[in-house]
This record gives sequence, C-alpha cells and structure tokens, in this order.
Amino acid sequence: MPILQITRLFKDFSGLKVLLGIDLKLEQGERHAVIGPNGAGKSTLFNVVTGRYAPSRGTITFNGRDITGLRPHKIARLGLARSFQVTNIFRTMTVFENVRNAILSRNGRRYSIFPTLARMRDISEETERILDLIALLDRKDELAGELAHGHQRALEIGMTISVNPDLILLDEPTAGMSSKESRETVKLIEKVTEGKTLLIVEHDMDVVFSLANMITVICYGQVLAAGTPESIRKNQQVKDAYLGEERK
Amino acid sequence: MRRPSILQLALGIGLTAVLLAAPRMLTIVQTRMLTEIVYYSLFAVSFNLLFAYAGLLSFGHAAYFGLGAYVTAISLKNLAGMPFLAVIPLSALAGATGGAVIGFFCVRLKGAYFALLTLAFNQFLWAIAWKWREVTGGDDGVGGFVPRKSLDLGILSIDFTNVVSKYYLTVVIVIVCLALGWHLMRTPFGNTIRAVKDNEERASFLGYNASRSKLLIFILSACFAGIAGSLFALFQDFVAPSVISLSTSTEVLFMAFLGGTGFFFGPILGAAIFVYFTDWISSLTERWELILGLLFIVLVLYFREGFVGLIHSRLKALFAPGKSN
Repeated sequence: MPILQITRLFKDFSGLKVLLGIDLKLEQGERHAVIGPNGAGKSTLFNVVTGRYAPSRGTITFNGRDITGLRPHKIARLGLARSFQVTNIFRTMTVFENVRNAILSRNGRRYSIFPTLARMRDISEETERILDLIALLDRKDELAGELAHGHQRALEIGMTISVNPDLILLDEPTAGMSSKESRETVKLIEKVTEGKTLLIVEHDMDVVFSLANMITVICYGQVLAAGTPESIRKNQQVKDAYLGEERK
Repeated sequence: MRRPSILQLALGIGLTAVLLAAPRMLTIVQTRMLTEIVYYSLFAVSFNLLFAYAGLLSFGHAAYFGLGAYVTAISLKNLAGMPFLAVIPLSALAGATGGAVIGFFCVRLKGAYFALLTLAFNQFLWAIAWKWREVTGGDDGVGGFVPRKSLDLGILSIDFTNVVSKYYLTVVIVIVCLALGWHLMRTPFGNTIRAVKDNEERASFLGYNASRSKLLIFILSACFAGIAGSLFALFQDFVAPSVISLSTSTEVLFMAFLGGTGFFFGPILGAAIFVYFTDWISSLTERWELILGLLFIVLVLYFREGFVGLIHSRLKALFAPGKSN
C-alpha cells in the first residue's frame, strides 16, 4: 500500500486553475522530489495535501485513510509533517521552546495541566536530543526570531521531524541560501530523515539529485513526467520545459 | 525567563502573607478598599490571561464579571435554601458558560473584529440587565441578598455581613484562583496558548487545534471574571447594570495596562493603583473621570509596560553591571 496516493487532484482559486488533475504515488521509504518551473503549482500541491486549502476535486489518501479536506491539525496528528518555504517558526519563543512545542504535540500532551513543563524531564530530554541533532543545542535559549537565517531553516526542519512523522514534506528547504549553506542543509536533511519517507519541493537541481530517488515534474498544474532521477535527466520534454532553461 | 518567574512567585507568597495579616492593621474603611482591590485583581488578571497569553483583546470583559455578579445576586435573592457559598461555583459556571458561548463566535475572528464582537456581546448582556426588570430589577438593581444569618460551619460560624469576614472570603478565593492560573500558565496547556498566539499556522501544522486552544483560554478567563463578579456582588450586597456595562470593561482594561500586561502579577498592582487612585481623586473633584482618561492617554503613549514593567526595567538596569560577575 502506498503511503500517499494523490488521485486526479484539482484546485482552482476563484477561476484560476492551479492544479489540473495531479496523480502522485509515494511508497514507504521513498524520497520523492516534485520539481517544475515557477507557478507550476508545487506549493499549492503541498498546501492542498497538508490541509491548508481544500481541493476543488480529487482525493488524497494517507496510510490508507482518506484525508481529503481535513483541517491541518488533524492531518498533522495522523503523522504527516511539513516545513515551509518561508521560514515559519515561533519567533517570540526560544529555540528550545520551538522544538518542545513539536515534542509536546507528538506526545499528545498539548493540553496537559499537570505537572508543570519544568518537571517534564522526558519532554526536555527529547527536545535536547533533537536540538543536538540539528546542532542548535548551544543556542537553545536564544529567541528563534533572532537566529540567523540558516539556523532558522535548521530549526524549521528540526520541528518538522520532531513530531516523528510517517511522511515528511519539505517545501524548498534551501530557499534563499548560498550554495555552501545549501550543501550543509542537504547533509542535515539526509541525517535527520534517514529511513523516512520524504516528499520535497525544490528548485535547486543539485539538491534534488542528491536527495531524491524519485522525481515528479509538474508544469502548469499537470504531471509532465515521473520516474527515477536518471530517466528524468534524459527526458526530452523535461529538458525543454524546465531543465534546459536552468542550464542557460 | 526563569528568573522573573521565581521573583514573581516570591512576590506572590509575600503578598499572600501581607494580605492575611492586613485586617489587624487596617481600619474598616481601609479593609473595604483592600477587598475591592483583591476582587478587582482577579478580574484584571482574568482579562490579562486572554490579552497577554493568548493575544486576544477583549473589550467586553464586564460581560462575564456581570454574569457572575447577577447570578450571585439573583440566586441568593430568589432561590430559597440556596447554600450561601455555592453561589461562587455557580457564578464561575455562569462566567464559563457565557465565555463558551460568546467565545465560540469570537475566537474565529482576528484583531479588531474579535474586539468588536466581544464588545457587542457585552452591550447585548447589558441591555438584558437594563430591560429585564422582573429578574434584574432594571436600573434599580438587586440588593440585600447576602443572608443576615451567620454561616455555621460547625467549628466556626462566619457572619458575612461583617467586613473582615467578607475580606477573608475574598482573599482566599482570589488566591486559589490566581495560584491555579499561575500554575496553568506553566503547564503544556499554557504553552499551547502561547504557541498559538505566536504562530497559529505553525502550531496547526504541528497538530495543535488553534480555535479550540483560544476557546479554552477564553472560557478560563471568563470563569475567573465570573468568580470576581460574584465576590463583588457578595461584598457590595448590591448589583446594578453598571457592573456589566462597557465602562466596567474599560476599567479592567485600564487596570491591566496600568500594572503591566507583560507580567502575571502586573494587573494586580494595576487594580490596587486604580482603586486607590480613583478613590482619592474622586474625593478631590467630580471630574475625576477626565483625569483618569488623561492618565490612560499618557500610559498608552509613554508607559506601555505599565508600572511593573517600569519597576522591572529599573531593577534590571540596577543589577545589570553585576550580571557579568
């Protein structure tokens, strides 16, 4: 059974058709990249899958369960986590608190009223383990909003993996980064998502080819091609529509 | 964040000790004033739970205070055999229920629209209190409902027409509520409220139900306001539509800002200054509300952190040079 199955997915925004019947299937353990030119509908696809927008038509099943049109927190609780293209963190909370928010949610302690947080050793330890993994342990008391951009991106990824999801969606994790930062981020993603199923939207082809073992190319809201990185690289249609442009 | 917490906790314990000893040192008039300060403190903290922790500005907080006050007055007046102390939990329930119903509609809205809707509901409840004469007495209000008979608890008997007894009742209930509020803000529940305030969208995508979180803190806040209203009614032995009016809603807002919304105990100092100041200034001039208004303008323009914020930054400046050691 595929972990994620998207069938004939349509989305229009008051007449503007952004997704025109997307089909996409993700198997357990797959590392799947969605690529395509600007405005192809990649981010919209992510937003529909994670519940930010309801689709106009089509179905999405996750782990065999129909999640079409569910609200974001419901989808998140089923084990589907995402990061955002524009850094989306708790800016007035500390780095530690940011990750702890994710850990608390994953442990179903969102509304616990006993004991106080300071006494929840297990939660604190788990939080510190994640912070160590994303190399932010020594900055744990800093306000998230005051971190450097690269560190904020790492925090964003850290929060996403902290909920221990079955499927991780990363929306342009290297957006706005230098090539050096970008390489480090790829390393970080490889480290923290080992053995996980990954769906990633990315512009940077180096990132895509180093992280993904399956690629779907979308263009004007439709799937142009899907396959292994090698087959995509050789695909003439894709070259014309997208890869060629990038190489100019 | 830890340090000010401990400081505030120590402050809370010290304050409790002073409050318990106070009536021995004060005159009856001063004890009356202190009682007012204590129940207004709970009211102001309840407002601030919503404002500071959840980022929700309620312009109609008198609705829940008034609900508590009217439920206390009307049930003692009309229900024969109503156990005296049961009116406090009953008022808490009334406040919470009002909060649940009104909050259900309000938490879906943001910013100014949220504030406007809380105000509209407040005005609606005020109109009921004003017009439904058979039950609320209209502008004549309801009075004389506190039982003249002493409450016999076996080991001791309490006479609630006595100012000092009322004072202790108020202090005990308010301290229990404040301790509960203080505790809750340090648990995952309080953390959830802060997280949703900071970034509702991110919280949702981590599995937090943002609307439900806001509704829960709204209910808690309204519940505390209802209890404060009940204590007000028991103390005054009289309730009129002014308790549920918009001017009461602005007063609580003023108290919270005066003390400092950035601190759990800020609104308490705010309530103290407000009660003391209005008492003093209204003995000097009939146009005291004008002076109050001017004071609020100055506060919003220059001292947004309130008095506790002012003290806090002074203390920080004082201790800053020693910090590097």
